[in-house]
Amino acid sequence: MLDLLFQGAPLYFSFLSILLTLLGIVGGLVIGVLPGLGPLMGIVLLLPVAFHLPPIPAMAMLIAIYVGGSAGGSISAILLRIPGTPLAAATLLDGYPMAQKGRSQDAIGLSITASSLGGLIAGVVLIFFSPMLAEFALRFAPPEYAAMAMLGLLTIAIVSEGSAIKGMIAGGFGLLIASIGTDEFTNAYRYTFGNINLSSGPNLVAVVVGLFALSELFVQIESGNFLARPQIQKLRISFHALRLVLRHRGNLLRSALIGTGLGAIPGAGGDVSAFVSYAVAKRMAREEEGYGQGAEGGVVATEAANNGCCGGALIPTLSLGIPGDASTAVLLGALFLLGFFPGPDLFAQNADVAGGIFIAYLASNVVLVVLGILLVPFFGMVLKVPKAWLLPAVLLLSTMGTYALQNSLFDLGVMFFFGVVGYVLRRASYPLAPIIIGMILGPVLENNFRRALLLSRDGPMIFIERPVSATILAIVALMLAYVVYTTIRPRRAPAP
Amino acid sequence: MLRKYAYDWAAWLFFAALPLLVFQQNAGPLAEQGAASGGPMANAAIYPAIIAWVMVGLAAVNLLRILGGRLAQGSAPEPTPTTRLALWATLLVLVYLLALPWLGYYLSTPLMLAIFFVLLGLRLPLAAAGALAMTMVVAAVFEGLLNVVLPLGIFKFTLFG
Repeated sequence: MLDLLFQGAPLYFSFLSILLTLLGIVGGLVIGVLPGLGPLMGIVLLLPVAFHLPPIPAMAMLIAIYVGGSAGGSISAILLRIPGTPLAAATLLDGYPMAQKGRSQDAIGLSITASSLGGLIAGVVLIFFSPMLAEFALRFAPPEYAAMAMLGLLTIAIVSEGSAIKGMIAGGFGLLIASIGTDEFTNAYRYTFGNINLSSGPNLVAVVVGLFALSELFVQIESGNFLARPQIQKLRISFHALRLVLRHRGNLLRSALIGTGLGAIPGAGGDVSAFVSYAVAKRMAREEEGYGQGAEGGVVATEAANNGCCGGALIPTLSLGIPGDASTAVLLGALFLLGFFPGPDLFAQNADVAGGIFIAYLASNVVLVVLGILLVPFFGMVLKVPKAWLLPAVLLLSTMGTYALQNSLFDLGVMFFFGVVGYVLRRASYPLAPIIIGMILGPVLENNFRRALLLSRDGPMIFIERPVSATILAIVALMLAYVVYTTIRPRRAPAP
Repeated sequence: MLRKYAYDWAAWLFFAALPLLVFQQNAGPLAEQGAASGGPMANAAIYPAIIAWVMVGLAAVNLLRILGGRLAQGSAPEPTPTTRLALWATLLVLVYLLALPWLGYYLSTPLMLAIFFVLLGLRLPLAAAGALAMTMVVAAVFEGLLNVVLPLGIFKFTLFG
């Protein structure tokens, strides 16, 4: 495990990587603080910039945004009772009451410190388990890869918010988008409608920016309040929370591990892990701790879990190439576009890159605690920026970022189209993450599916003749049976 | 029923049309290229066709859920006081994207931003200054730092390129 870190160290420790980690954490925290945005939006907006950078500094920046954005949402949850991101929804249960008692400084300090330490604990798990999982996956052949891709996509489709059927439709849509372009085996143009711009398929970044950033812009405009400036208490820099958090070290460790474990399950997400950790912490706490009335332990549990979840989500992403959530799906896409293939081959052939990514993740969490606390007064000011300034800025960054990738105006059209599609799907309560994950897993699924059929003498029987792929497909079948059951079972009558 | 699930119907129509498009393309352009039949390596249509059939099944189930009123929540359009503004903003984005290749980044962007700022309630002088500043900052980052050539337009104008 440690040799990966040693191999990655020369790649990571450069002025550019460290600078981009610092900037990524600040940018992530800012975007996390602003309600309605969040780490995914941060990654999406800076994804095009990443492609103009060397691979490790680029990944360091995106990972720092992921880490900072996941932690930043707690600040607005504590100060305004509005979670900046869904990840921070559980933090307001005790964070906001703490602020109401005049302890907003402590609550923010605790949330940042617990996030950082939770992330570091997850980082240790990530470094320990990812290579092991990748080594196991090295034995996989095309049938196993195809089955794993199917399982990953199905899990995310089912666990994502909204109905499982809608999640599966969204995933299928992503798979179909991925099939547009030149077929790798026959070189035939598939679903390009004679348009040369589609010969490599729609640009992933244009689709992601359209689905997430542009559609969010439309939703935000519809929600109004463009010039509102919330009242924020005056905030000062204080490192007192570093001592406070140590009083809850058992809670911190447990919550971080819960977050990491749930994060490693594709689709489970930080919000789920935060609520689960909170429930466990509350159950194990003494009554006088007053959970729900401003308990320090409540903030520690939720924040350690939701940042632990980031490290957990990176485990299947890096070792199997199966993203744990929408943000890691975009990180996975970024790695693809930077020329690396996440999965066992990353560890076998580019161990230094894997090590560099691990170090970037650990460094992000260290930087988080320092900058997160030093910049607390600044975040109070950020929260006062009216939406009237932010929304056009998001539009401009989305547009120019997408254009800059290939200097392509066609990509801007793709972005706009998916912006409108994303808006309609949001209104119809379709989860958007499975579309992106379908797009990323599509080529993996198709290539391995067709290769497996080529290897087989009995057609599709190869998938059930091999024990590992048969086991994975059995899990897939069980999940489908669950979806069918929940779809057709009679609904309970509403309570009187 | 139609109004209560309006967005669900729109999404359903979109997703139901996709498999039909796949089947039409498989039978047309892909077959003409000789890539819609044969073994797994020669047949580029087999995998998308499987996905399309799965989508047909899922769309059918979803149709039954909509018709049976079994969706967890409705999706009727509920206009807010700013819905009309959102439509104007969408139109503005579309016009901006269409104007970009003609007017170029330096003319179309400050115009679009200034209109956007005013639509969102900022006063004109502030909107104009903000639009100009934002245009320059983004141009400096993309052209100056990242060496991206932003759309030049018919006037072939650039500042940092």
